[in-house]
Amino acid sequence: MDKKTVTTISYLSRLKIDAEKEDKIINDLDNIIAFVDQLNDADTNNIEPLSNPLEKTAKTRKDDVTAKNLKKELLEIAPSSNEDYFLVPRVVE
Amino acid sequence: MTIKYKSIKEIKKMISNKEISNVEIVNEVFKNITENEHLNAFITLNEEDSIKKALYLDNNPSDLALSGIPVAQKDLFCTKGLRTTCGSNILNNFIPPYSATVIENLESAGCISVGKTNMDEFAMGSSNETSFFGNVQNPWGENLVPGGSSGGSAAVVAAGIVPAASGTDTGGSIRQPASLCGITGLKPTYGRISRWGMIAFASSLDQAGPMARSAEDCAIILNEMCSHDEKDTTSLNENIPNFQKHLNESLKGKKIGIVKDLDLSSLDNEVVKVYEESLNEFTSLGAELVDITLPNLSLSVPTYYVIAPAECSSNLSRFDGVKFGRRSENPKNLEELYVQTRSEGFGDEVKRRILIGSYVLSAGYYDAYYKKAQQVRRLIKNDFDSAFTKVDVIMTPTTRGTAFEMGSKGSDPIQMYLEDLFTISANLAGLPAMSLPNGNIDNKPLGLQIIGNFLDESSILNFAHMYQNVTNWHMHTPDGLRK
Repeated sequence: MDKKTVTTISYLSRLKIDAEKEDKIINDLDNIIAFVDQLNDADTNNIEPLSNPLEKTAKTRKDDVTAKNLKKELLEIAPSSNEDYFLVPRVVE
Repeated sequence: MTIKYKSIKEIKKMISNKEISNVEIVNEVFKNITENEHLNAFITLNEEDSIKKALYLDNNPSDLALSGIPVAQKDLFCTKGLRTTCGSNILNNFIPPYSATVIENLESAGCISVGKTNMDEFAMGSSNETSFFGNVQNPWGENLVPGGSSGGSAAVVAAGIVPAASGTDTGGSIRQPASLCGITGLKPTYGRISRWGMIAFASSLDQAGPMARSAEDCAIILNEMCSHDEKDTTSLNENIPNFQKHLNESLKGKKIGIVKDLDLSSLDNEVVKVYEESLNEFTSLGAELVDITLPNLSLSVPTYYVIAPAECSSNLSRFDGVKFGRRSENPKNLEELYVQTRSEGFGDEVKRRILIGSYVLSAGYYDAYYKKAQQVRRLIKNDFDSAFTKVDVIMTPTTRGTAFEMGSKGSDPIQMYLEDLFTISANLAGLPAMSLPNGNIDNKPLGLQIIGNFLDESSILNFAHMYQNVTNWHMHTPDGLRK
């Protein structure tokens, strides 16, 4: 784990790392990765990954209209909106 | 008349005998909340609505399972019209337009949701020290942590403010605080309880459950929390048994798995003694101890710290300052809006886990970490599958010791992660597990963990209830032994 890697993953995470905290974060992440490297001790040849304890495929349901339209309520709790859209800073000049 | 430290059954009886009214109960709860303000256990109170509902119940008595029972709700469940922060600055102003299925189920059963309890930010922590709203104090002692992440819920039950609270458990977040606060808490089988309206941390591990003073009260609440929910694709469409039905079944001939691979040598002698004494109680009740082996158990914490951050980094990408929650002020452009909102809104532990998640999911590392952890996860589940062919339940200590002092784990995150050493494997395998009080060291409580087979909460509750019939550890309170 070096400065460059941390810059890349903080960009992927859309997080800004404060300069004064950078060394501590690099050190913490390094320790955590070293800790999880214990996993290499396990023999996982031919073992299927388990992504969810239920291992069931997603269920389907009848295509009935169930949810009511919450547009007004959802736009109301947005930081910035008009009557139809969420508003963000201008993207196209 | 007071409801302090009373069970759900006792409170219901007091209401039906007209010894206390629903409004009097609510008034008592809010008086106790004020008197216990120093615990910092609540983030948002729901006083006006609680009095309204109590008045309604006084005028329209009902025999619903939880009628008039005051319940504290972890601030991770969305509550319609009531602020829901998940312990984070980024949701400081979030008022959900809908309620979680768990909340709807409990409230339709008649309970009164008195407020939202403090918790580690986004449920990431084991001491309630990562909350944006400050630490929660354990009612058993000044400066002691209540555990986490459901620390506020555990503290308000332990302090006798409410008989029960909701919690959630991703790696031990119900059981570890239950152990440190001397209460009983159950994480059900993954899929038993709908996750709709629960703010997601790690979707393949998260599960809601009850926190109360006894196994019997947990059983009563569990029955009301469970439902099959089409809005959650992982909600199980399985028969929901009456969880109270088998509470009093004899334990004669039933088998308790004792994990031979568990290294207890790092624990204090006192802790091991408490654990062994409780096993003796079970053998006196007729149960048999059977050695089992879970060879991959020691890998559960590292497995968890790949899988949980991976799922967290994905789930928490929804907090971008656009649709709800806080937005940073005056961003120059859209990219800056995202980055500033998230950097200001999340605390250090949440950021750390998002970064780890982004790392283990990024190109070049995915197979080495994420896929590898999922393979080890299967090995751990296979270990449990084979153990449960021989035993009815498995027992371990819940925690490595009693409640620790705030700030004492220092700044090394791994020391805190190891706090969940005994609890994490049940989440990885999706199994139900409970913590119940089984001793006291220096007037600080300690818990025993009972892990059950898939969908077999009933056996756990049976073992726990029979134990609580012959012991009084669950009757110990910070005010002394309850009569």
